Amino acid sequence: MKKLLFTLLLAAPLCAWAQQAIPLTDLSAFDQPSKNWTIEQAVFSTYADTALQVSPGKGVLVNTLRGGKYHRTDDLKSKMQHGDIRLLVDFMLPKGMNSGIYLQGRYEVQLYDSWGKKTVKYSDCGGIYERWDDNRGKGKEGYEGYAPRQNASKAPGLWQTLEIDFQAPRFDANGKKIANAIFKKVILNGLVVQENIEVSGMTRGAIFDKEAPFGPILIQGDHGPVAFRNLRYETYEKPTASLGEVSYDYYTGKFTDPIIPTTKPVSTGKIPALTYRVIPVNNDYLIHYKAELTIPEDDNYEFQTYWTGSGELKVDGVVLNKGAHWFNEMVPASTFLKAGKHALEIIHIKDFPWGPKALGLQVKRIGARLVSLHDRTSLLDPDAVGLIEVKANAEPVLQRSFAFHQGKKKTHVIHVGDPAGLHYSYDLKQGAILQVWRGKFLDATQMWDNRGEPQTSEPLGLTVVQDGKFPLVLAHQAQPDSTDLVYKGYRLEAGLPIFMYDWPAAKLRVEDRIQPAGNGLKRTLTLVGASPQKSDVEAVLATGHHLSILQNGLASQPGNFMEWKGATAELLKTAAGASQIRVPFTGAQFTYDLIW
Amino acid sequence: MMKKYTAFVLLFAVALGAFAQTKPTSKKEQDYYEIKTLPIPKEIYLEVGGLATMPDGRLAVSTRRGEIWIVENPYQKSSHQTYYRRFASGLHEVLGLAYKDGAFYCSQRGELTKITDTDRDGVADLYEPIYTFDLSGNYHEYTYGPVIDKNGDMWVSLNLAWVGFGEGKFAKWRGWFVKISPDGKMEPFAGGLRSPAGYSFNDEGDLFYGENQGDWVGSGRVTHLAKGEFAGNPGGLKWAKEPNSPLKLSLEEIQDNGSPMFEAAKKNPKIKLPAVWFPHAIMGISTSDILQDTTKGKFSPFPGQYFVADQGQSKVMRMGLEKVNGVYQGFAINYREGFQSGILRERFGLDGSMFVGMTSRGWGSTGKDDFGLQRLFWNGNMPFEIDMIKAKSDGFEFSFTQPVDANSVKKAASYAIRSYIYKYQHQYGSPIIELKDLKIKGVEVSADRKKVRISIDGIRQFFIHEFTLKGVLNENGEPLLHETAYYTLNEIPAGPVLVAAAPQDQIFTKVTEVRVVKNSLGNDLGIASLLKKHTCSACHAKDSKLIGPAFTEIAKRNYSNQQILELVYKPNPQNWPDYATEMAPMSHVPKADVLKIAGWINGLREKEGLKNRD
Repeated sequence: MKKLLFTLLLAAPLCAWAQQAIPLTDLSAFDQPSKNWTIEQAVFSTYADTALQVSPGKGVLVNTLRGGKYHRTDDLKSKMQHGDIRLLVDFMLPKGMNSGIYLQGRYEVQLYDSWGKKTVKYSDCGGIYERWDDNRGKGKEGYEGYAPRQNASKAPGLWQTLEIDFQAPRFDANGKKIANAIFKKVILNGLVVQENIEVSGMTRGAIFDKEAPFGPILIQGDHGPVAFRNLRYETYEKPTASLGEVSYDYYTGKFTDPIIPTTKPVSTGKIPALTYRVIPVNNDYLIHYKAELTIPEDDNYEFQTYWTGSGELKVDGVVLNKGAHWFNEMVPASTFLKAGKHALEIIHIKDFPWGPKALGLQVKRIGARLVSLHDRTSLLDPDAVGLIEVKANAEPVLQRSFAFHQGKKKTHVIHVGDPAGLHYSYDLKQGAILQVWRGKFLDATQMWDNRGEPQTSEPLGLTVVQDGKFPLVLAHQAQPDSTDLVYKGYRLEAGLPIFMYDWPAAKLRVEDRIQPAGNGLKRTLTLVGASPQKSDVEAVLATGHHLSILQNGLASQPGNFMEWKGATAELLKTAAGASQIRVPFTGAQFTYDLIW
Repeated sequence: MMKKYTAFVLLFAVALGAFAQTKPTSKKEQDYYEIKTLPIPKEIYLEVGGLATMPDGRLAVSTRRGEIWIVENPYQKSSHQTYYRRFASGLHEVLGLAYKDGAFYCSQRGELTKITDTDRDGVADLYEPIYTFDLSGNYHEYTYGPVIDKNGDMWVSLNLAWVGFGEGKFAKWRGWFVKISPDGKMEPFAGGLRSPAGYSFNDEGDLFYGENQGDWVGSGRVTHLAKGEFAGNPGGLKWAKEPNSPLKLSLEEIQDNGSPMFEAAKKNPKIKLPAVWFPHAIMGISTSDILQDTTKGKFSPFPGQYFVADQGQSKVMRMGLEKVNGVYQGFAINYREGFQSGILRERFGLDGSMFVGMTSRGWGSTGKDDFGLQRLFWNGNMPFEIDMIKAKSDGFEFSFTQPVDANSVKKAASYAIRSYIYKYQHQYGSPIIELKDLKIKGVEVSADRKKVRISIDGIRQFFIHEFTLKGVLNENGEPLLHETAYYTLNEIPAGPVLVAAAPQDQIFTKVTEVRVVKNSLGNDLGIASLLKKHTCSACHAKDSKLIGPAFTEIAKRNYSNQQILELVYKPNPQNWPDYATEMAPMSHVPKADVLKIAGWINGLREKEGLKNRD
């Protein structure tokens, strides 16, 4: 949850896409909901449960299947009808469960408990489900369908996030389809699993006979329990701004400010779309573009400009933005415009010889996609660097680097990868797990391409961020943000490290061993030494909000489960108003599993 | 047949940008100093950060990708093939490696680490920190070492961060040499470092390090540092306030007015002048490792002298030192160019050959490979070289590896001598300043004709004295293998002045003619000598990217000749954001020569246009 919140907060101001929430205070947003759908306050499940426990209240949409029989009427349809849409939702599946989200009631992104599967196909979570045609012959009816790029599924009983950016099919005036639907992006638990996949037609379980410009969101409810929350969307049906023919005046000379000279232009002309390509020289010019801007409806419009050099954007004579920039810097400026015709002007100069000429203008309105008002070749595509991947296919692999953790760069970090596909990053200074992930091991591009200026590396799989703190405390003492530990190195056993520390506060030596175990990581903390404090040591399993002790030996925090054997956990309140789960040591060793 | 071959070599050299000497010399570096390449398995990125010769005949190599490889059969004795065993991995950019008593010691960015194979299966299984270094997260905070001294203490140098200038304040002891005992006690030793990628102790136990041109560093150089001394870059001076600092100095005490470093050192004696300046772009652009030849005549004809590598120019240079008034000073001269990538490390092998470890990722180098491992050795043939230069009260004494032709050394025209210095300033690099041409007053040849003493009008203390012995020949009438040397005159010794015959400067004999060789591009080779003379070709080639852009790329910018002149005198690095190394101002190059070069560059554009029309 912590991570999700963080992502959302970050994402919102960056893209300025307003999302409309479907309030889950009641079922009024849905079209004749069947009785299996209810609104609850919270749901719980362990990773082994096949059902959800609910606590009554508001905010969570829950499907509890009656009797387990197939009923298409158990599906849930939104009243809202959509074309192009960006949809965000959190979901929770109990063990073995299956659901799905149908865009326009026709094109399904599969939700499925694919936890821990080594290989995934179209029918796994994040897949685009297959199409079906009885005429293809027995055993061959199923076709197309797209597997996710990787298994991005979390354990059942954990909240997962899904984001879908969908482009509806297009039809001509006679209703004939002229463009297929496209999944522009599907992001499962923060990982892109589909990108720009064009689907030739409807998924097998579509509730309509044919494709159409609009349709409802359909949530599959006929395969078992599933819960949803934070259902938000933005649709793109509104018309947006457009630009007519562009005329320009072109001047040469040394210009340091975008001010139209009083001299006569060297040349003038008309072009069908905005482009720098009418400028014959590399530098020392001024060009003044004028065009008619058509605004379809009264609204706020955000204009985004790009240029190398200096420039000024004006609408109806009002300066919206002005300044010197490099071509890959997007400069936004918003303004309210009334429906109708407006005069748009750009004055652009480049008074230095270096850098590529470039000019771009885009416009965004809430409810419409971002569109370019310039000719495609007027703006350069940024260079992409090929991935430098560290693989852990045959044996455990260790790699030190810098790494970002909760927005801060940590400098003494080691990443440990295992062929089991279960990996983690570890802060050597703090004896702390920074993050755990499943899937491919490490992206070292930012460290090993060119000088590697960020000098960081990042997980390539489904990642759960941890608190990055040393997990041991003395009884009744608060857990500090950083502990006065002395790092003593690590030794390798079967290729995996055992980290060694001196813990001066307890006058003990600590060994920290983390190994893949089943579908998670097993961490064994061992106390070495004969300090009288040895019997006072407690392990902190989690700190934060939304912590639950589900049963003796099993607790959860947003992101993962913690499972252990032995002593009973305590749920404490911290000074900061958060909760903390602690388990006392009963001997020299404590072992717990992180499961996600 | 022979002629054809020669022509091919010349053209090839032009294409590489490493212009062949225009003087018709029959002998080349490779006739004496040979390079052998060690093969590297294709899947290994052997971006060499550290080298350690092992007493059992193996070689250990640490890499920027954090691995330590042990190379078996590195001397390629019974076969040419080598075997690579991965001993350790997962480390963070290992830029230094040492082997002692069965364990490896290496620097990672944030740690001096001891690495051991406790179960002797050939793979390390114990990684212990000897010392943990602070880091801010800036990529430029490199950590180099350790070099282990006679007492077993480990020396580490700590690079400054780069934030548009060198900055050491973000993490402790950046910009310093530190000494760390085997049990992890750290002692700061000396400050003022900028980019101290290579350093070592000589046989007297004195510490020398190579510095890279940049802010406060007008040109590459080698400095001898004693405890508590300050090498010149104030980026790390914040730590001089620490109670255990052996140096008390603040930024405010350092003048920043563009006058030479020796002026600043006169005011503040804590500022240590370099033992030898390596003129920028001529003697390298990024000084890296330094190693004294202690092989007693196995490695080179110059036992006891120093071999200084350069990353950007992929070459090894030679440095001869003497002590005058207790101060190290001496000369730099080219030794061997043509390595495959950017040299970072030099270590002697058991047989007296030198292993040369290379990487150029992020910086670029004349050697075109991304990384490499080669071996440099002397084949035993005696080249005609300057052996040593010593300062005298009124000039210098040269010794040669072979007797000289007495007539040749008596001609004034056989010498071109000038002196100059660099600015000491916070700006990046420096032009050559206070340039002065010098005249010879007298010449004396020793009885064995292996020594020549010259007296000069107007030698200047602290200045670089550049000698081009273009007319000096041996008894066979052969010129020197390397005719130009650069002596840094920190101290002028006392002693008798030379009473000898003036050189025969009236009998001006042209010893060498610039041979004009035409090739398919007309008079490129005439330009080639200009480009080489003014060291343009150290960083630029005609068609390919070296340290700087290709001349054909510059041509595409449509600068006028005058604009090129202005940019040569005052470069604007922003013009070339894709190039890692900034160009130094070259305002000492005569205007007429720059304009000639500029005209040639712009001529390349027209040819390009013609080519495209085909």
